Amino acid sequence: MKSKKWFLLMALTLVLSMFLAACGGDKNEDKPAADKEDDKATEKPAEEAGEPDAEQVLYLEEASAIPSVDSAIVEDQVGFNVLNNINEGLYRLNQENIAEPAMAAEEAEVSEDGLTYTFKLRDAKWSDDTPVTANDFVYAWQHAIDPATGSPYGPFMMSGVVKNATEISEEKMEVSELGVKAVDEKTFEVTLDRPVPYFLSLMSFGTFYPLKEEFVTSKGDAYATNSDGLLSNGPFVLTDWDGTGDSWTYKKNEHYWDADTVKLNEIHVNVIKDSATGVKLYQDGKLDWTRVSGDLAMQYRDDAEAVIQPETSVFYFKFNQEKGGEKTPLANENIRKAIAKSFEKNDMADVVLANGSLPANYLVPTKFAFDENEKDFRDLSGDHLVYNVEEAQEHWKKGLEELGVESLELEILGGDTELSKKMDEYFKSQMETNLEGLTIKLKEVPFAVRLELDTNQDYDIQVSGWGPDFQDPISFLDLFVTDGTNNLMSYSNPEYDKLIEESKGALALDPAARYEAFVKAEKILLEDDAAIAPIYQRSLVILQKPYFKGLVNHPFGADYSYKWAYISGKK
Amino acid sequence: MVKYIVKRIVYMFITLALIATASFFLMQTLPGSPIASYSKLNDTQKAIVEKKYGIDKPKPVQYAIYMKNLAKGDLGTSFAFKGKSVNDLLASRLKPSLILGAQAMVFGTLVGILLGMLAALRQNTFWDYGSTFFAILGISIPSFVFASLLQYWIASEWHLLPVGLWNDGWKSSVLPSLALAMGPLALSARFIRTEMIEVLSSDYITLAKAKGASGFEIAFKHAFRNALIPLITVLGPLAAGLVTGSLVVEKIFAIPGIGEQFVSSIMVNDHATIMGTTLMFSAFLIIIIFIVDILYGVIDPRIRLSGGK
Amino acid sequence: MRNEIEHEQLPQEVFERITIESDQAERIEKPSLSFWQDAWLRLRKNKAAIVSMVVLVLLVIMALIGPHLNGHAGDAQNLRHANLPPKVPGIEQMGIMDGVGNLAGKKVDLYEMKKVDEYYWFGTDGLGRDLFTRLWEGTQVSLFIAFVAAAIDMVVGVAYGGISGYFGGRTDDIMQRVVEILIGIPTLIVVILMIMIMKPGITAIIIAISITGWIGMSRIVRAQTLKYKSQEFVLASRTLGSKDSKIITKHLLPNMLGIIIINTMFTIPNAIFFEAFLSFIGIGLQPPAASLGTLINDGYKVMEHQPYVLLFPALVISILMIAFNLIGDGLRDALDPKMKD
Repeated sequence: MKSKKWFLLMALTLVLSMFLAACGGDKNEDKPAADKEDDKATEKPAEEAGEPDAEQVLYLEEASAIPSVDSAIVEDQVGFNVLNNINEGLYRLNQENIAEPAMAAEEAEVSEDGLTYTFKLRDAKWSDDTPVTANDFVYAWQHAIDPATGSPYGPFMMSGVVKNATEISEEKMEVSELGVKAVDEKTFEVTLDRPVPYFLSLMSFGTFYPLKEEFVTSKGDAYATNSDGLLSNGPFVLTDWDGTGDSWTYKKNEHYWDADTVKLNEIHVNVIKDSATGVKLYQDGKLDWTRVSGDLAMQYRDDAEAVIQPETSVFYFKFNQEKGGEKTPLANENIRKAIAKSFEKNDMADVVLANGSLPANYLVPTKFAFDENEKDFRDLSGDHLVYNVEEAQEHWKKGLEELGVESLELEILGGDTELSKKMDEYFKSQMETNLEGLTIKLKEVPFAVRLELDTNQDYDIQVSGWGPDFQDPISFLDLFVTDGTNNLMSYSNPEYDKLIEESKGALALDPAARYEAFVKAEKILLEDDAAIAPIYQRSLVILQKPYFKGLVNHPFGADYSYKWAYISGKK
Repeated sequence: MVKYIVKRIVYMFITLALIATASFFLMQTLPGSPIASYSKLNDTQKAIVEKKYGIDKPKPVQYAIYMKNLAKGDLGTSFAFKGKSVNDLLASRLKPSLILGAQAMVFGTLVGILLGMLAALRQNTFWDYGSTFFAILGISIPSFVFASLLQYWIASEWHLLPVGLWNDGWKSSVLPSLALAMGPLALSARFIRTEMIEVLSSDYITLAKAKGASGFEIAFKHAFRNALIPLITVLGPLAAGLVTGSLVVEKIFAIPGIGEQFVSSIMVNDHATIMGTTLMFSAFLIIIIFIVDILYGVIDPRIRLSGGK
Repeated sequence: MRNEIEHEQLPQEVFERITIESDQAERIEKPSLSFWQDAWLRLRKNKAAIVSMVVLVLLVIMALIGPHLNGHAGDAQNLRHANLPPKVPGIEQMGIMDGVGNLAGKKVDLYEMKKVDEYYWFGTDGLGRDLFTRLWEGTQVSLFIAFVAAAIDMVVGVAYGGISGYFGGRTDDIMQRVVEILIGIPTLIVVILMIMIMKPGITAIIIAISITGWIGMSRIVRAQTLKYKSQEFVLASRTLGSKDSKIITKHLLPNMLGIIIINTMFTIPNAIFFEAFLSFIGIGLQPPAASLGTLINDGYKVMEHQPYVLLFPALVISILMIAFNLIGDGLRDALDPKMKD
C-alpha cells in the first residue's frame, strides 16, 4: 500500500516533467536548416556588395541579457546596442562612422558663440504612426536629467554640457529649467553651458534619443519593461522580449523614415555567455555571427570566416598613490616609471591576447579621434612609456633608493575573466623578472567588487580600461584631472588640469590649439608623470558568415548598426 | 500526524524568516555596492540616486521594509534589470531550470537505482564492476566537461540534437538533462549498492529466503525499501542543489535558467535578486526536506514521527 | 582380532604419549587480532583496493616530486614556447606525443615551426609554462584541499549528526533547525561570502568548502543513528548498563563506519570539484597557483584544438577518484563488523 504511494509519486513527477518539457516547445519557430557543409572550405567574405537575396533573417548573439531599454536608464553595451537599432537620435553614425542628420532633417544651426544649437526635425514617425516632434526630445532630455529618474548616464553626459544640467541633477533647480526648448512642433533648440566642440557626436548617443511623453506616461511603470511597453522611431522594433529573458527579436519598422534602406526583416538574438558554445552554434548554422573570446580567439583568428574588429577601448594600469590616507610607494615617480616600462607588449598582444589587440603606448586610441585635417590623433602625439628594461631598471634602482627600501611588494587588482587572469600572470612574471626585489600579488575580483575597491582607492595597481562614449580625446583625458570621478588614485598635476580646462573653455572654438593641448596633456600624463601605464588597445575576433553583409561597427557609443545589413548569397 | 505537519509548517515559515534575515545582513557585508555602476556620477548625484533606491536609509529601516514586502510576497526590485520586479525575473527563468532539474533527477535516480540494485544483487560479477565503474565515471567527470563532451559529439559532430539554446522543444532539454543527471545517477547507484549489500546480509532477508520468498520479492519488497532511506537523505538536498548546480550546464548550453542568472546577479551585486533567489532555493529545499521526513515514516515503519505518537 | 594384530604391528616408537593440561583447554590457536588487524587482513584480499592504494601512493609521490623532474619551473613563462603540444623523447617515434598539434585547422610540428629544442612532456599552456610541472603542482594543491576539507567535514559532520540523532528530543530539534537554516541558504552564497571576507587563497577555499560541507555528513550520520539506536542490540547494551559513550563508540560508530567512509570518499571528489567550480565562476584559487580544477578549466576551454591541456589533469583527477572509490569500497567491506566470516 505504502510502496504504491511511493511509485505513484515517482510516476507523477515523471509525467509532470514531461508536461513541462512539452510546454517548453512552444517557441519552435522557423530556423535555418543546419549548414552541414564544411565551413572552412568556403571563401573569405567577399568585399564587394552582393544584392540582398534569400530570406532576410539574421541570427545573432549577445553576451548578456538586456538590463533596460529605457534611454535614460541604459548604461551597458547591450542596452545601447538595442537602443541604437530600435530608436534614433537627432544624428546617427553612418557607415563611415560619421554622425549625420537622422531625426534632424539637416545639419544643425549653431550660433556664433557655439552655445545654441537649433535642429529642424524631419517628418519621421513613431512605430504607432504618430509624428516625432520637438517635444519628444524636450521630454526625453528632461526625463534623463530628472533626479527622480535615477539615470546613470543623463547627469554624466549632460553635466557641464547642456545648460543648468548640473544644477538640476543636484536638485538645485527645477527640471523645466534645462536648456532645451521646442520652438515649434518641428524645431528643437538646445542651449549649452559652454561651447562643446563634440556636441553633435553626442547626438547619436542613446541618452539623447527622443521619448513620446504621452506613450511613456500612459504605460506608467510598465514602460520599457518588455517589448509591448516600447515605441520605436528607428530601423527596427523590438519583439519577443519579456524584460529579463535571454532572447529577443528585431523586426523591421515599417514606419521608419528610411525604411527603404533597411533590408533585414527579422533579427533573432540569443544570449550566449560561453564563447565556445557560440562558436559551436555558429558552425552548426544556428548563428550568422559570433564573438570569439579568450583562448579560442587564437585558434580562430586565422579562420577564413574570421574578422578582426578593432575597438577603441584602451587598457592601462592605474597606479594608486594614496591608500588609507597614506602615500603608497607608487607615489614615487621612478617606481611608477619603472613598472610602466617593465613589461614587453608586442609578444603580449600577439601570444597572450592573441585576438588582434594592439600593444598600446598611448591613452587616446588609434583610429578614433581626428583633427580638422583628418589626421589621426596618434600621428600628432607620439609613443610614451615604451617597454625598455634598462630604463625600467634604472628608474627602479633610483626609486628604491629614494624610498630607502630594498624590495617592494605590490598588489595588482584585476578582473576575473579568463583573459584578464592570464594577463595578470603574465605581468607578474614580467615585472618580477625585470625588476629585482619586486613581488607582485594578484587579486582578481568580480567587476562590481573592483569598482568598489576603485572607489575606495583600496588597491596598489589596477588593470583598468576605458571605452569612449563620444568621439573626442577629452573622453579619455578628462578621466585623470585632479579629483575627477574616475581618477581615484590621487593623481594631481596642476599643469595637466590647466590644459584640460583650457580645452573646454578658452580653446573650445580653436580646434588646432585644442588638439595641441591634448597632445601636451597626454605627454604629461604618460611620459612625464607615468600616472598610468598603457597596456593595449583591444580588438575582437569575430566569426561572420560570408552571406552576412553590411554590418556596421561603431568605434564609440553603441557597438553595431543593423540598418544597412543584409543577406546575400545564402544557400 | 496532522498536528506534526502543522507544527512543521510553522517551523518552515520561521526558518524562512530567519534565512531572509540572515541573507539580508549578509548582503550588507558583501563588498561592492548595488549601484557601483553609477561611478560616473559625482557624490551629490550619487547620493540622490541612493535616495531614489532607498539604500540611503539606515539598515534596520531597510530591513523592516524588506521584511514587510516579503510578507506580502514581494521580493523587491532588481538593481541589474532596472525597474523589474524580482518575482517576474525569477518566474521567467524558473521554468527551464525546473524542467532540466526534474528530468535529470528522475532519470538519474531511476537509472542509478537500477544500476545500484543490479550491482548489489550480482555482487562481484561483470554487472557489479560495470555499473560501479559507470558510477565512478559519473562522479569523476566534472559536469561541465561531460556537458561539453556531449555537446561536441552528439550535437556538433553528429547533429543529433541541438548544440544549445532553448527554442527546440524537448530536444533542447535532452543533452543538458543528461549532463546534469550524471551526479544523481552516480550517487544513487553507489548508495543503493552499499545499502542493498548491507541489507541483503541481514537476518530478516535470510529469514525471508528461508521462508522461500523469490529473489525478486526479496530484492524489491525487503532490500530495496530499506536501502532507500539513506538515499532519500542525500537526494533531497541534491534535488535543490541541481538547480544551483545547473548554472554551469546552463551556461554551456546557453539556456536561460535560474542557476546561471544567480551567479550573474552575484557578480553585479544585484542584492534584491540574490536574496530573492536565495529565498526561493531555500523554500524549495525546506519543502523537500519536509517531504523527505514524511517519506521516512512511509518507507520505514520503524521510524516514528515524533509528533505522531 | 585382525585389527588388534595390525595395531600391534605398528612400531611403538612412532607414538608419543601426551598429557592434556586443563589450563590450555581454552587456548585459541589463531593469533589474537584487533578489529583493525582483522580489517587489514580482509582488505588485503581485495585486489582492486590494494591496486588503488598503490596508485594513490604513486600519485601522491608524483605530486611531491613531479614538479622537480624535468627542470622546468611551474611558473616560468616563455611566450615563444606557448601552446606547444606534448613531446616525449622515445615515444615521439611512435607517432604520438611527437610535438604535432593543431594550428588553424592544420596539423603541424609546432616544435619545428617555433624552433624549440626542449621537450615539454605534456606540452605548454598559453603562457609557455610547462604543463607537466604544473600538473603535479596542481595535484599537490588539490589533494591538500581535498584531504583537509574532507577531514573537517567528517569530524564536524559525525559529531554533529551523532549528537543530534543520539540524544534526540529537544537537542535534536534545535540542532536540526540550525541545520535546516544552514542547508536552506545556497552553498554558493555562503562560499562566496567567505571568500569575499577572507583573503582569497587555499585557506579561504578550504574553509568555504567545509563551512557547509559537513551538513550532508551530519544528516546521514543522524539518519543512521536514528536507525540503529532503536534497534535491539543497542537496547540490550543499554539494559546491561552501558554508558552513552560506550554505546556510541562500541555499537553505533562501527555500524556507521562504512557509510561514513563512503561519504568521505564522496567528500574528497566533491571538494576537488567544488574548488574547480569556484575557479569556473572566477573566485577560486588566485593565480599563478594551479590546482587540478583550474587546469581542467583551462583545458576545457581549448579542448577541441588542444585536447592535451584537458587530457592529463582530467586523467589524473579520474584516476584519483576511481582510486578513492575503490579504496572506499574495500574499506567498507573490511570494516563492516556484520561481514565477519
